[in-house]
Amino acid sequence: MSGAWVRFRSITTWEITLFAALAVLGFLVTAQLRSETPRVQYTSQERAPLIGTALGLQVEQKALQGQILDLRNRITATETSNQGSDALVKQLNDALFQARLAGGLTALEGGGLVIQLEDAPQAAQATGGSDLLVTGLDVRSVVEQLWLAGAEAVAVNDERVVSTTAILDIGGSLLVNSAYLAPPYQVKAVGPKDLYSQLAASASWVDFVAARAGQNGIRLSIAVPADLVVPAYAGSVTIRYARTPASPAPSAKP
Amino acid sequence: MRNPRSQIAIAAVALLLGFLIVAQIRGQTVGTGLENRSAQDLTLLVANLNTRNDQLRGEVADLGRQLDSITAAQARGDTSAGQLRDDLVRTRIWSSLDAAEGPGIQVVLRGPVTATVLQDLFNELRNAGAEAIAVGGVRLVPATVAGGSPGSLSVENTLLSDPLKVLAIGNAATMTGTLTRAGGLVAQELATNPGLGIEVTPADLLDVPATTRDLVPHVAQPRL
Repeated sequence: MSGAWVRFRSITTWEITLFAALAVLGFLVTAQLRSETPRVQYTSQERAPLIGTALGLQVEQKALQGQILDLRNRITATETSNQGSDALVKQLNDALFQARLAGGLTALEGGGLVIQLEDAPQAAQATGGSDLLVTGLDVRSVVEQLWLAGAEAVAVNDERVVSTTAILDIGGSLLVNSAYLAPPYQVKAVGPKDLYSQLAASASWVDFVAARAGQNGIRLSIAVPADLVVPAYAGSVTIRYARTPASPAPSAKP
Repeated sequence: MRNPRSQIAIAAVALLLGFLIVAQIRGQTVGTGLENRSAQDLTLLVANLNTRNDQLRGEVADLGRQLDSITAAQARGDTSAGQLRDDLVRTRIWSSLDAAEGPGIQVVLRGPVTATVLQDLFNELRNAGAEAIAVGGVRLVPATVAGGSPGSLSVENTLLSDPLKVLAIGNAATMTGTLTRAGGLVAQELATNPGLGIEVTPADLLDVPATTRDLVPHVAQPRL
């Protein structure tokens, strides 16, 4: 005992410092190696400018989406402020508000669900293991299940799902409304109070969870917040080919 | 610690430590997922982002003109009824609240069509820019989900009979090209579903009905 104590006392400060530094070094080397093996690594020279271009376009996309929402809000405010006592204008404004609400051009707030999907933990080490990665089909399945459970509005990583929304795979990530989304994916839905119980009771949802989370190991987590916001669609609503039929056809409410 | 070899060892470890800390922090902050994409994926992504940004720029320009027009009408003391009416027509067609007509494609599916095949087709048509889609006379809305098994598929509580007709208004060439390209949706579905038949035909004029579904939320509240 006294021999060990003497040896311990003989350890110099710099040796302790070196030991601590090496311990931190070991931790960082491990962390670095782990973080450098996600999915697939590519090293070709042409990728750097492409990444730069893609990042620049994403920044531009966010700015354009912000401008669209801002302009839509200003148009609504201007139109509404002008209605005065004109009954026709008021009627048109009300109808337009309802149409925007129906189409997903207005943000919605209420109780709902947030379902997060992440790749299986072993996806980073696996090669060619597409079952371990969250795909567009997975996200589409979750969105579909939420609709069937009674959701009134759904968004994927804040991209609102509307009548023109496509969800596509792009090399292990997704394009939703042509916006690039990287995992983890958060699917938000607002709806009735029993949204979660309806979802949980669905046989197809149970099958999906068993297959993808149970067998393939993708990480799936669910939150049931009392209040959440599903943002408005911030894309183009321009129509170039569709028009009102020459002969009037029945319309839907509202 | 006067031993020069010890000092060199400490200096080397400190240098490596600093490098790794910086690399780790950079690795944590990038996190866009782009660094793991192949050049082919990145090229496809850039093309998609360019197309999308062009559309968004067009939308910004349209909305800017619309705002100017309303503001000018107000300044003249006019009502904005005409502008509102145009906006309403466009928004109702886009939202599936009104019927629509226009050029596009008709896709006829025969044989063992599954709900997954239909959902894949809807997704691909939307990706190809379809502005209005109907299947078996039912207009698609975001919440439309095909269900059932082959031979008894349904959408919006409407049973779909064989052959199954999907109408999509939009750019016929783009939609046909997207569906029928080598390795595209039609090729994939035909290869994996024996007995399935898919026929894609361009059409000058298609009619798609309005949705019969109530799209106005009843529980969620608009956040203005």
